[in-house]
Amino acid sequence: MTRIIVMTSGKGGVGKSTCTANLGMALAQRKQRVAVVDADFGLRNLDLLLGLENRIVYTALDVLAGDCTVEKALVKDKRQPTLGLLAAAQNRNKEAITPEQMKQLVAGLAPSHDFILIDCPAGIEMGFQNAIAPAKEAIVVTTPEISAVRDADRVIGLLEANDVKFTKLLINRIKPKMVQEDQMMSVRDVLDILAVPLLGVVPDDERVIVSSNRGEPLVLDKELSLAGVAFNNVARRLLGEEVPLIDLNATHDDLFSRLRRFFRG
Amino acid sequence: MVPDDSASLAITEAAADPDMLSVDVSTPAPSDMPEATAQTHSDVSNAPEVAADAAPPVPAPPIDPRTQLRLRNDGEHLVLLMPNGPQAEAEGGALGWGELLQHFKQRLNGSEPFWQPNTVVHLAARDRLLDARQLQALEEILTAAQLTLKRVATSRRQTAMAAVAAGYSVDQLAAEDTLVQSPPAPGKPLAEPLYLQTTVRSGVEIRHPGTIVVLGDVNPGSSLVAEGDILVWGRLRGMAHAGSGGDRSRCIMALQMHPTQLRLADLVARAPDGPTGDYLPEVAYVGNNGIRIAQAQAFAQQHFNATLERGAQPTDAF
Repeated sequence: MTRIIVMTSGKGGVGKSTCTANLGMALAQRKQRVAVVDADFGLRNLDLLLGLENRIVYTALDVLAGDCTVEKALVKDKRQPTLGLLAAAQNRNKEAITPEQMKQLVAGLAPSHDFILIDCPAGIEMGFQNAIAPAKEAIVVTTPEISAVRDADRVIGLLEANDVKFTKLLINRIKPKMVQEDQMMSVRDVLDILAVPLLGVVPDDERVIVSSNRGEPLVLDKELSLAGVAFNNVARRLLGEEVPLIDLNATHDDLFSRLRRFFRG
Repeated sequence: MVPDDSASLAITEAAADPDMLSVDVSTPAPSDMPEATAQTHSDVSNAPEVAADAAPPVPAPPIDPRTQLRLRNDGEHLVLLMPNGPQAEAEGGALGWGELLQHFKQRLNGSEPFWQPNTVVHLAARDRLLDARQLQALEEILTAAQLTLKRVATSRRQTAMAAVAAGYSVDQLAAEDTLVQSPPAPGKPLAEPLYLQTTVRSGVEIRHPGTIVVLGDVNPGSSLVAEGDILVWGRLRGMAHAGSGGDRSRCIMALQMHPTQLRLADLVARAPDGPTGDYLPEVAYVGNNGIRIAQAQAFAQQHFNATLERGAQPTDAF
């Protein structure tokens, strides 16, 4: 049974595409046949994050026009051959495709894959409607900021109304130090408002930017960063393993901050 | 309280976006409001009954709770009521139709079904224009909720044609005179309570011409509009408007009262700034000086006593 998962957030810039790229790669490393679909027509960038930009020959629109088969349009990753990317057309906008066509595309990919990850564009307009149409599950990506959480809340409501019943939460770019100092919403605060099952927590990491610019997802690193470990854990949880959350406090929890917390009560 | 069409349309459009609305209302608020807030804040700890924030001079805009699709139990079958009138038509026009369906779906998902599988539904389309695609969309939603659409009642010829083509039995009613839009007659019984078991999330708006009961949290950015009372068995953090028809005897109850805004009939109050820190069940009602909030226990005692006294009066007269 193919699992069709849409990665969405409502707000832009919270790390949907980064999470999609890393999660896709981490799943492929675990011998899963994965297709990542860029649903961000007109503003595609999943290909950049995966370093596959210069290998795109056909896009989703060519498939819909009948110019090639969906298998042929899929760009195979040379590092992990079980990972494929279906690129969006860059020269068109979100209205170039309908929810029905999106369903048709994904249905073409479903028989030959274990996972299909759909990278949803920001916003809740046509692009969002297209991206969620074929999905059975959703991963809502949010950062611990009040605006991102508010948008995530709205998106979860819309997913429920559009028959995407299994929604999980991925909290991205959390800064443990700021949480400890009560300057950032904690995981608990976010869950308190959104009330959906937690899939994982990814710490803020400067190496994410480096890896994005190079087109090499973090999970490919030889020595994994904390964010890389977090993405791997998320992939393992998606496969049904029980993995405890990494203790993000450990790195910052020195004697000084403990004392401070003690005095603050 | 029935403004002309253009004005009421502007208000209901603003109401569709709760964030925008709260800005609209709070902007003209007088500068002495923070003072009232501070006072309220200090009162919270010792007094069982506190005044909510002073009501700004802007009265709550009248919101018609009949602008959403809703189901009514009619004995042997259910009736799906379409919002009526030219105003609803304009609001639910080209773009609004999608929103209308969205709200209806969210309502169906959250509400405890009060019907058995395969219950028959009659659509009261009134004077709304529906094409075949819209009828099909409605049928899909109803089928998902295990309801079967059988009959369509309409006063529009085009809607009747579309319904016949789609294979429903059709009642064609005489066209209502849309020029004489009478407001709901005073003293009309309220609709049966709407019982929702869900988290009401940002962007969701629930309107109901009766009492709303929510089992779950009401998140910021959402709004509840009821002609009756509002009961939230959870945290109330969105906008709640009880007695939207102008009934000031209505109240809003919540296990945790942290609303962005409270409205009772034509009064508006906003929550005090900053964390209140109390997590006791509270009741908001209209007191002598606008909207007041009391702890649920104190409220129950007071109102029980009040009704007892009132109940005792006729015997005194005898």
